[in-house]
Order: sequence, then structure tokens, then C-alpha cells
Amino acid sequence: MSENDHERAERLILGDWVEGLSPTDHQWVNRHLETCARCSKFADSAEQALRRLRSVSVRVDPVLVRATRLRLHARALELHERRVQLTMLWISCALSWVLGALSAPFVWRAFAWLGERSRIPAFAWQLGFALWWTLPAVAVTVVFVMRRTRAENRL
Amino acid sequence: MERETQALARGLRRRDPDLLDRLIEQYQYRLLRYLLYLTGSREAAEDFFQETWVRVIDRGHQYNGKFKFETWLFTIARNLVIDFRRRKTAGSLDALSEPGEGQPMAEPAAPDNLSPADLAAAHEESERIWAALVRLPAFYREVLLLRFQEDLSLEEIAAVVAAPLSTVKSRLYRGLSELREKLETEKV
Repeated sequence: MSENDHERAERLILGDWVEGLSPTDHQWVNRHLETCARCSKFADSAEQALRRLRSVSVRVDPVLVRATRLRLHARALELHERRVQLTMLWISCALSWVLGALSAPFVWRAFAWLGERSRIPAFAWQLGFALWWTLPAVAVTVVFVMRRTRAENRL
Repeated sequence: MERETQALARGLRRRDPDLLDRLIEQYQYRLLRYLLYLTGSREAAEDFFQETWVRVIDRGHQYNGKFKFETWLFTIARNLVIDFRRRKTAGSLDALSEPGEGQPMAEPAAPDNLSPADLAAAHEESERIWAALVRLPAFYREVLLLRFQEDLSLEEIAAVVAAPLSTVKSRLYRGLSELREKLETEKV
């Protein structure tokens, strides 16, 4: 019996546990084990190692489970509240956008009138109008980004 | 089974508290055991246990029901441990091979019919096996658990550890071989 035979047998013995063997390999290894004490011992010790591995049990502390449940319920509530807040924020944004769009022509005229009265260049009051139009959206975006970053940092 | 996992996915999206309670009840043992194998420390495993469930609720909408729930749960737990290690030591799972200190990691189940002597013997046996296990690299311990205690298929293990099937097989072969050697040579 060559060293190669033993190596092959050992690989197949482990392979039987890991992924199963083809009928041919199974037959070969069984024949080999009938005549090889060394590999039989290897097979026994592999089986015993697995049996012992499977016998390992762990204890779960009931206090840990209770604490986890409480924490999860609190977290679920927190996430629910956050979703409600987020919905309110979206509704406010939508309302603000609609009102902004409806009032835009009047505000434009107001800015133009103010610009004329205070004799400032047209681009300056137009810039003012653009800021008036975009600032709320920028502020809301900043709020969203900050909330998301904070949430990601917590995870 | 698919219908079951789809119902689970819907419940997780709703963050249904009753469903979460049931899941904790059902998977507490398996999750803690997996984390113990992964971290080698009871204290760390218990911390990650809570964090894993919090992540389950935070990312419940990402569970699509294509995999079994335990596969997804173990993946979450694993990523959490690896993220934590990366932040602390810029390492990976390889850094988790150090045995933990403090409380014993495994304890034998203690049925009423065991005498104190039997219980002590079971304790000793458990400690001996753990002593051998914690000296294995974490990535071997992990696949050994998933294959031989969780009975996951090789494909499912590959999904959990995010590694090719060939890597999973090679870890299993080497892990089993090393465990056998350690238990054999030390005559534990």
C-alpha cells in the first residue's frame, strides 16, 4: 500500500463528511479501510471529533433574551415614530413647494419692486429671489442628510 | 417554504413585534452559538447578539425571502463582527482566532437526570472540546459550525461567509482535519 493510497483515503474520509462521496470513491475507501489499520484509526478519530463537536452546547442567558426583546421593542417604536416624523416632513415639504410655486409670480414682482426702489442691480434682486426659492429646499436636504448620517453611524 | 419566507419578509418590513419575539425565541440559541464560534468570547458574543437583532429590525426591509432566514441572520451577525473588528484593528475574521477570556463559552445542557458527577464530567468534556476549538482559526470554526451543527448546505455556507464554494470546502477539509488532530494529539 503506497503513501498515496493513505493520503487519498484520508482525503476521502474527510470528503465523505464534508461533501459526500461518489459510489466509486465510497467503494474504494471502504475496501481500503478493511485492510488498513492506520486509515481505520484516522476514520474513527475523525468521526469521534465530529461527534464531540456536535455535542457542544451553549447556554443562553434568559436575562440576555429579555433585554434583547425590550431593546427591540423600544427600537421598533423609535423607528415607527421616526417614520411618522418623516412623513410629516414630506407633507410639509410638498405643501411648502405648492405654496412657493403659487406665490412665485407675486414674490418675483415684490423683489423687482424692492430692487427698483433701493436701486440695486437686477442680478442682485434676482439672486435674492433665487435664494428665497431654493433655501428651504437646501435646508430640508441638509436635515435629511444629517439624519441619514446619524442613522448610519448608529448602525 | 418559499411562502413561509415571503410571509417572514413581509412581517420584517412591517417590523411586526410579535414576529420579532417569535424569531428571537426560535433563533436565540443558534445565533448565540454561531457568535460564540465566531468571536471565541462569551462577552463579545452576547454584545453582538443584541446588535444583530437590532440590525435585523433596522434592515428587515432588505430580507427578500430568497434565502432561509437563518442564512440571512448569520450573514448579518458575521458582517457586524467583521465591521467591528475592522474599525478596531483594521483586521478581518482572521483576527478573531484568539480565545476569549472570562466566562466559559460552552456549557453542557443540564438535564435533571444527570448526577452531579455526570454533570461535572460533561462540563469537563465541554471545556476540553472548546479548548481545542478556540485554538482553531475563526474561519475554520465558523464553517465547521455551519456545516456540522447547523447542517447548512455548502452553497448556503458560501452565501453566509461570502466566499467561493471551493474556499468553503477547503476550509471544511482543513478545519475538520485540524480539529481531529487537536483532539487526537492532546488526548482530550
